[in-house]
Amino acid sequence: MALFLHYLALPYLLKGISFTIAVTILGLAGGLIVALALASMQLSRIGPLAAVARGYTVIFRGTPLILQLVFAYDALPHLGLKLSAIGAAGLALAANEGPFIAEILRAGILGVDRGQLLAGQALGMTPTVLMRRVIAPQAIRTIVPALGNESVSALKNSSLASVIAVDELTLRSTQLASSTFDFFSIFFASGLMYLVLTGAIAAIQLIAEAALDLDRPASGRFNLLPLRRRLSVAVETPQATVPSPLDPARDLMPIAVTASRDKQQDRKQRYAQLVRHRAAVRVSSLRKHYDGQAVLEGFDLTVRVGEVIALLGPSGSGKSTLLRCVNHLEQWDGGEIRIDGQRLGFRVDGRPMTQREIANERAKAGVGMVFQHFNLFSHLTAFENIAGPLRWVHGMAPAAAERRALELLERVGLSDRASALPRQLSGGQQQRVAIARALAPNPRVLLLDEPTSALDPELVGEVLDVIQRLAIDGGLTMIISTHQLRFAAQVADRVVFMSGGTVVEEGPAHEILSYPRHPLTRRFLSVMGADSRAEVAI
Amino acid sequence: MHTSFLDHGRGLHRADRRARGLFIAAVFLLVLLMSGHAKAAASASPAECSALQARYPQFKGKTFVNAINPHTPGYEALDPNDPSKYVGFDIDLGEAIGNCLGFTMTYRPVTFAALLATLQSGQADIVISDIYATDDRAKAADFITYSKVFDGVLVSKGNPKKITGINPSLCGTTAAENTGYVEVPLIQNLSQVCKAASKPEAAVQLYDNNANCIQAILSGRADTYVNDVNTVDQAVTAYPDELEKASAVTLPYSIGIAVPKDKQEFRTAVMKALVAIQNAGIQTNLLKKWSLGAENLETPKLIVSN
Repeated sequence: MALFLHYLALPYLLKGISFTIAVTILGLAGGLIVALALASMQLSRIGPLAAVARGYTVIFRGTPLILQLVFAYDALPHLGLKLSAIGAAGLALAANEGPFIAEILRAGILGVDRGQLLAGQALGMTPTVLMRRVIAPQAIRTIVPALGNESVSALKNSSLASVIAVDELTLRSTQLASSTFDFFSIFFASGLMYLVLTGAIAAIQLIAEAALDLDRPASGRFNLLPLRRRLSVAVETPQATVPSPLDPARDLMPIAVTASRDKQQDRKQRYAQLVRHRAAVRVSSLRKHYDGQAVLEGFDLTVRVGEVIALLGPSGSGKSTLLRCVNHLEQWDGGEIRIDGQRLGFRVDGRPMTQREIANERAKAGVGMVFQHFNLFSHLTAFENIAGPLRWVHGMAPAAAERRALELLERVGLSDRASALPRQLSGGQQQRVAIARALAPNPRVLLLDEPTSALDPELVGEVLDVIQRLAIDGGLTMIISTHQLRFAAQVADRVVFMSGGTVVEEGPAHEILSYPRHPLTRRFLSVMGADSRAEVAI
Repeated sequence: MHTSFLDHGRGLHRADRRARGLFIAAVFLLVLLMSGHAKAAASASPAECSALQARYPQFKGKTFVNAINPHTPGYEALDPNDPSKYVGFDIDLGEAIGNCLGFTMTYRPVTFAALLATLQSGQADIVISDIYATDDRAKAADFITYSKVFDGVLVSKGNPKKITGINPSLCGTTAAENTGYVEVPLIQNLSQVCKAASKPEAAVQLYDNNANCIQAILSGRADTYVNDVNTVDQAVTAYPDELEKASAVTLPYSIGIAVPKDKQEFRTAVMKALVAIQNAGIQTNLLKKWSLGAENLETPKLIVSN
């Protein structure tokens, strides 16, 4: 025991720890750089780059570290690169750690919900902004435990550097054991030193996990404090103008009841006016194929400013694809799309755009999108979901973005949930935040892709209520794909019935819904109408 | 360099009384008797050395890297009293050569099997680490011999397996050896003899340093460890109740200093310095200082492969 304590405090061994730490840090830092390169090469979808990265991974993950160490130390000098022992150890450990960390990074990135990426793209985020604001923050949270694991493993692996004369803890321990014959006291002492080091890594990991934990009480997240103060002020403002989401039926029913002859007359007038408006969206001869399967086949549609279009049609009729094309989330195979007269997807010189240019185009074109599955950024509060993109994409000043976000949260009746995370909100609330997020940059056109399909029946009303209000009060141009016939009848100016990638029938909403001419439309409406009635009955 | 003799005290052998070494040896003994400590004889440089420095000025003032496998107390190991230093006969001899030619030495500790690879890669300039100069090894480096080889057979106390050397007594036993040691093929070559005697072959367990080989016997994993007799003696001194030396084996090798094959001037200079050191009796004194026995001394010869 006395010998053990003697070696535990021996400066010679303690000094070896600094070399152990140095090699570990070199290995992990270098490994992270290698990993970033490997992961981006593999995720790049550029064939040769991915192949090189895979080849590297196979070699360096598949050969023992000890061979790599000896190679870096004894073989590289024959190739003209003579590194110091610690340099060679750092290089070999980095080369070895790279593929392991790369797979951790890849898992983290691929683990981020694809819907959120689509939402980010739809908001006009460039690939860089998307990586920095949406993917990285979520990926980092999920990879912390795996990285902690890898760091412990790298620290222990650093002991192998003893074979190439790095004066670290293991080398010092073995030499000391040879010269003193105090085999066990020395190895117990150095074992305890390793335990302290790996324990420190475990502690760092726990601290990092706690710091990144989104479910910690908000008081712990200091960056939100100013917001919370202001929010409390916002909540105190009179709510007379705020529509109550709590009782959607109350708002919906009067409209349904007033859908009387007068109302019909109004709508006819409105329809006649709209036809004279300039085109907000013009889709001509649009063709889109998936694996040789035609999804859109010569599709034409013109949407006037202020018009609300309800896209109806069976699943697979191309509704979602059309909306994604209008927002350029999908590349089409033929035809063209113009937003406010501007042709999408091509630079001034006629060449196709890069991802970054497409993102900027989206931000400029002013097309907002609401998704079936809400696709809120799950690591951000309701408030940040709205305010964040305003700052990151549109360069809005923080104060202005904050004002706008609070105003929109109020409009969708969620002022009191500003600091809630998406998972703390009901589906209906999430969709209302998503609508607010899409509206925040003041889009010219709002695309809504089956906005209520993923909601429990009792939550449908509150979302429809918000959309209806946008149509009536806001005069916003909207294309809504929906199965809610009653809603379409109440909100849409025009109904477009799609099947097999083309327009089967279109016209004023009340006409098509009441007097469908095409047999396909009739059959669809009769089936959906039965469902709709069933839903309303609930 | 001060070294406590209490750690290595096996008493001094009678000196191989060469006329030129006598005076220095006498001074050495006197200092030892007076203080219990000895100043390394390496610090004294023979007269030939200034001539050598004038002839080989390119090595003067340089620092050379000496690759060692510092797990052999007596030859090269950490100083138990100050682990920041390496001590031992080989270390002192290297310092003496360095003093003679005017260069200083730093050390790179590697496994035994990596000694020559480290030299070949240029990560070391010289290897003075109790390495036997065999023809096979001479393919990787040039050797300048400086000492004869006497091996000892380390066994458990009482020698339960009755092992007497690298001979049929090893059949059916397990020997611990260091990776790359010359004893390994010698033991493996016994298989024919064992087969002829209808006995099982000797098994070899490979480790990467002396301490692990000794531990293998202490833990009962191996029956014997055949290595340099002084290493065996050190182990017996450290574990007198558990270990003993069964017998001594003479191997047809010499211990050599390894230098890169493409540096003939360096090889010549080191060899000449070694001769000067031996002539001045310094090596004999060092052998005594480390209780290695002056009879180990061997006049330098070159072992090179073509």
